[in-house]
Amino acid sequence: MRLSFKGGIHPLRERHEGKNASKGQPIRAYIPQSVCIPMDMHIGAPSAPVVAKGDRVKMGQVIATAVGGIGIPVHASVSGEVVAVSQKQLLGKNPSTCVEIRNDLQDEWTELTPLGEAETAPAERIIQAVRDAGICGMGGACFPTHAKMSLPEGKSVDTVILNGAECETFLTSDHRLMLEEPGRVVDGLRLIMRAMKVSRGFIAVEENKMDAVKAMQEAARGREGVSVVVLKTKYPQGGEKQLIEAVTGRQVPSGGLPMDAHVNVFNVGTAAAVADAVILGRPLVSRVTTVTGCVKEPANLLLRIGTPVQEAIDAAGGCSEEPGKVFLGGSMTGIAMPDTSMPMTKANNGIVVMGQKEAVVAPPTPCIRCARCLAACPIRLNPQRLKELCDQQDYAKAKKEHVMDCIVCGACSYVCPAKLELSPAFKEAKDKITARRI
Amino acid sequence: MNLRLSTGPHLLSRESTQTLMLDVLIALIPTTAAGIYLFGSRAAWVLAVAVISAVVFEWLWQKLTRQPVRVKDLSAVVTGLILGLNLPAQAPLWMPVIGSLIAIVLVKQLFGGIGHNFLNPALLARGILLASWPAHMSVYYLPTRVLGATSVAPAADMTSAATALLRPSGFAPYDLLMGNIPGTIGEVSKIAILIGLLYMLFVGTVTWHVPVVFAGTTVLLTWILGGDPLASLLSGGLLFGAVFMATDYVTNPMTKRGQVVFAAGCGLIVTVIRLYGSYPEGVTFAILLMNILTPLIDRLTVRRIYGMVKKHA
Repeated sequence: MRLSFKGGIHPLRERHEGKNASKGQPIRAYIPQSVCIPMDMHIGAPSAPVVAKGDRVKMGQVIATAVGGIGIPVHASVSGEVVAVSQKQLLGKNPSTCVEIRNDLQDEWTELTPLGEAETAPAERIIQAVRDAGICGMGGACFPTHAKMSLPEGKSVDTVILNGAECETFLTSDHRLMLEEPGRVVDGLRLIMRAMKVSRGFIAVEENKMDAVKAMQEAARGREGVSVVVLKTKYPQGGEKQLIEAVTGRQVPSGGLPMDAHVNVFNVGTAAAVADAVILGRPLVSRVTTVTGCVKEPANLLLRIGTPVQEAIDAAGGCSEEPGKVFLGGSMTGIAMPDTSMPMTKANNGIVVMGQKEAVVAPPTPCIRCARCLAACPIRLNPQRLKELCDQQDYAKAKKEHVMDCIVCGACSYVCPAKLELSPAFKEAKDKITARRI
Repeated sequence: MNLRLSTGPHLLSRESTQTLMLDVLIALIPTTAAGIYLFGSRAAWVLAVAVISAVVFEWLWQKLTRQPVRVKDLSAVVTGLILGLNLPAQAPLWMPVIGSLIAIVLVKQLFGGIGHNFLNPALLARGILLASWPAHMSVYYLPTRVLGATSVAPAADMTSAATALLRPSGFAPYDLLMGNIPGTIGEVSKIAILIGLLYMLFVGTVTWHVPVVFAGTTVLLTWILGGDPLASLLSGGLLFGAVFMATDYVTNPMTKRGQVVFAAGCGLIVTVIRLYGSYPEGVTFAILLMNILTPLIDRLTVRRIYGMVKKHA
């Protein structure tokens, strides 16, 4: 029996979810000539730079300190010279402060202070080590991991799930990580479990990665409280709420957080970063990113944080045709970028290049009430009805009909035969309802 | 580099309104072929006139009202074909033209075009034709195949294919299944309809809910009320209506639960009309009545969303 949730879709089924091009490519390190590291890669207040132009930094050295309760520090991802600390317009609403470092190619680490092994490191110091390593959710959410691991008074968690579903199209970075370094992933899970005093840990992987399932099962053998579960290949299986429903049968209450269902979910990449932070004392300076689509040599690259997207594309052989669209992440929720000079952040699990032809979107036609969006919605909303309300700008009614529960997974838009922009309308509605306090 | 910007999803399903309509047309091939085989070239003429006039009316209306012309979505072809299949083969050729005018202009376009009609266009057209020219619409003929290729004689004693729930005398279940019975062009061959249904289920055009619940309710109620359940299933327009008309996306409810309520309602009304009404057949009016109730059913069958659980402490 494969675990799953109600609703959902199977995007790009005829193309094997777009993963075939890169899933057989071993992780390969790429060293950039220079990096540009934004201070606001995580959710929370941007970090405060502590270096200036002309400073020499070592790899792993703190270049910005944490601001606020959930803030995290930022580290140099290469050794070399700081060439600029400046404001840049990236994908956010406001310009971001960025530290640019020219790589001296020495890869000289700063002094590292490991905490101990996965089963023996002092449990009460793990969360601080995670914070010091600058770790935030690497599945795309970028929520600081130490904050997720610290439960507020009165909340309790009895289950930790590592999300290895990788249900997004095109992406294979988590797949390769689980396949090649399952030990790091399990170590990370154990550290999180020990820090949070949780006895039950799951590593959840979709059925289309049975080789990774096997690797994880072997690595998890004999590890206390850890089991590997196989999920049905279905989108958005890796959505936090869907994953919790599939693995534990519990639901996160509307408007609540996973901890309200006594569960915490972490990406497998995040767990590997936690293992590095505690066992090796290494901060988060690189991550695995899939570079695929219309590139000559689709690849899973171990990229330094701050590597320009264009350099990553070039490392994958460059574009195989004139690009029409480039997005960070998979094709369901990936963020399209205006140009490829922007840097990779801690959350970027993939870069997909689309050709000119594929980038053209069919114009919308009238809704025919086929109800495919209802069948697709993992929250069991009525997207057809909500779209009508959004078109009428009746946000008060849309809120009443639970638009705020929409997770903007895009499943409804994907299946719509009329090519209506459903999930973008709901995203806009959610933003407006929040901004106007409707 | 000129990169396009948009929010996800960046790649969409290959299904479009046009491909869905095309699938319905493919599913209608067996029924259309069986109708022409059974009733001869006369049936082909009725179908051709219905389809062509439906497309022409749609095109003309959209041109005259300066709307984008959407005949390429094939929905008018589907409407025209279903309307034609709802007519007797001997219908005068002006009838499919009037029918298409009603279906496309009155029922579909005047209410806002595709997706906005609250009644099934082909069905209301059939209903109006039935009420206006009962002589042409309620005298059915045995297929020419059964009578012999040359003579087309009215089988006046069998005025309707759905002579209530008494099994039409002289028709074995085999004849009912294959279509060797009097009726409209499309409704007689149950086997052809079922092949079409299997195709639509296979490619996912429709789900089983509406056809199975509609037909199942009719059979069950007929049996409970003392009728002949097999005849209720295999005679008249029940299967054609349950497979090709009650499944119309626009005019049936959107949730599965709603569709079950809708289909059960259709089955109930059909049974009541057939058993106790003055019409011998009730499929048309049953579906039209339930079409009217669709918005209400939609409101009453809102799903319980994810997360409607108590917050744990």
